[in-house]
Amino acid sequence: MDLVIRATVVFFFIYLVTRVVGKRELSSMEPFDLILLIVTGDLVQQAITQSDYSVTGALTVISTIALLTVFVSWVNWRFRRMRSVLEGQPVVLVENGKMIEPNMKRERITVEDIESEGRQQQITDIGDIRWALLETNGRISIIPASK
Amino acid sequence: MADSFIKTDVYRDLKGRNRHPWHRRGLLVLLLAIPVLALIGVFGQRTDRTEANAPQATLTMSGPSRLRGGLLYQWKLQVQAHQDIAKPKLALNEGFLNGLTVNTIEPQASQELNRNGHVVLEYDTLSAGQKLTVWIQYQVNPTTVGRRTVRVELDDGDTPITSIAKRVTVFP
Repeated sequence: MDLVIRATVVFFFIYLVTRVVGKRELSSMEPFDLILLIVTGDLVQQAITQSDYSVTGALTVISTIALLTVFVSWVNWRFRRMRSVLEGQPVVLVENGKMIEPNMKRERITVEDIESEGRQQQITDIGDIRWALLETNGRISIIPASK
Repeated sequence: MADSFIKTDVYRDLKGRNRHPWHRRGLLVLLLAIPVLALIGVFGQRTDRTEANAPQATLTMSGPSRLRGGLLYQWKLQVQAHQDIAKPKLALNEGFLNGLTVNTIEPQASQELNRNGHVVLEYDTLSAGQKLTVWIQYQVNPTTVGRRTVRVELDDGDTPITSIAKRVTVFP
């Protein structure tokens, strides 16, 4: 019983953490982020299964987390109002070549971040960007002015 | 003209795939069964209590009867004396120890003896109305699996007073 409860608490806590840290941090995987991810995984394992080495325990925890993932996905699909809470909404960073600095500041996005994303789409000038949006998965989508 | 690798009848019109969502839902229900069974305590480690009464004393055993590899848990044995017991002894069978790591037994027995393969813990005299509580802290060895009988007998010297036997399941 305690395994299911611990797995549920940790699942929703991790969900909260991923919403709080911001979109951009989730998509960028610097060496420090990678180490932090591994350390977090280790701590989560200890918190959920503790000293339990059993296959039964592992099946219980995996089933619980899988079902919670399906549940969150279903809520997201079924209730439109919950989408902004569970996944967030895209944020416009550049419109018709002009940076929207309050949005960039809010999401901790630098000019260099946008320039870097632009270069990956063969755009060398922010003035050539029609729309740049920070998507809910943390990636920056760029739509060139010519399109 | 070569056939397209996009099979429109199967990929777009979902021909023959109408039942697939129901298969997935069925599997989800199966998946749901595991945490539900866990929540109602099928896989442990809910504590239950068994009591045995005799004119001289009441013996109570509390602890989980369903366990999993690696779990830390405790058995609590209580003797409530109704009459004086000169040499209270608790005889534990093999099921109490086999495949389990005993972290501690508190209070320590004044003597630990062997009786035909059973471990006997001897304590100081119990007067009528006194209570003896023995805590045994365990961890299940990860390779231990299966069902066993756990039996404890309360004796006064070599005279049996009462006993409790319980089936314990260790899940893999």
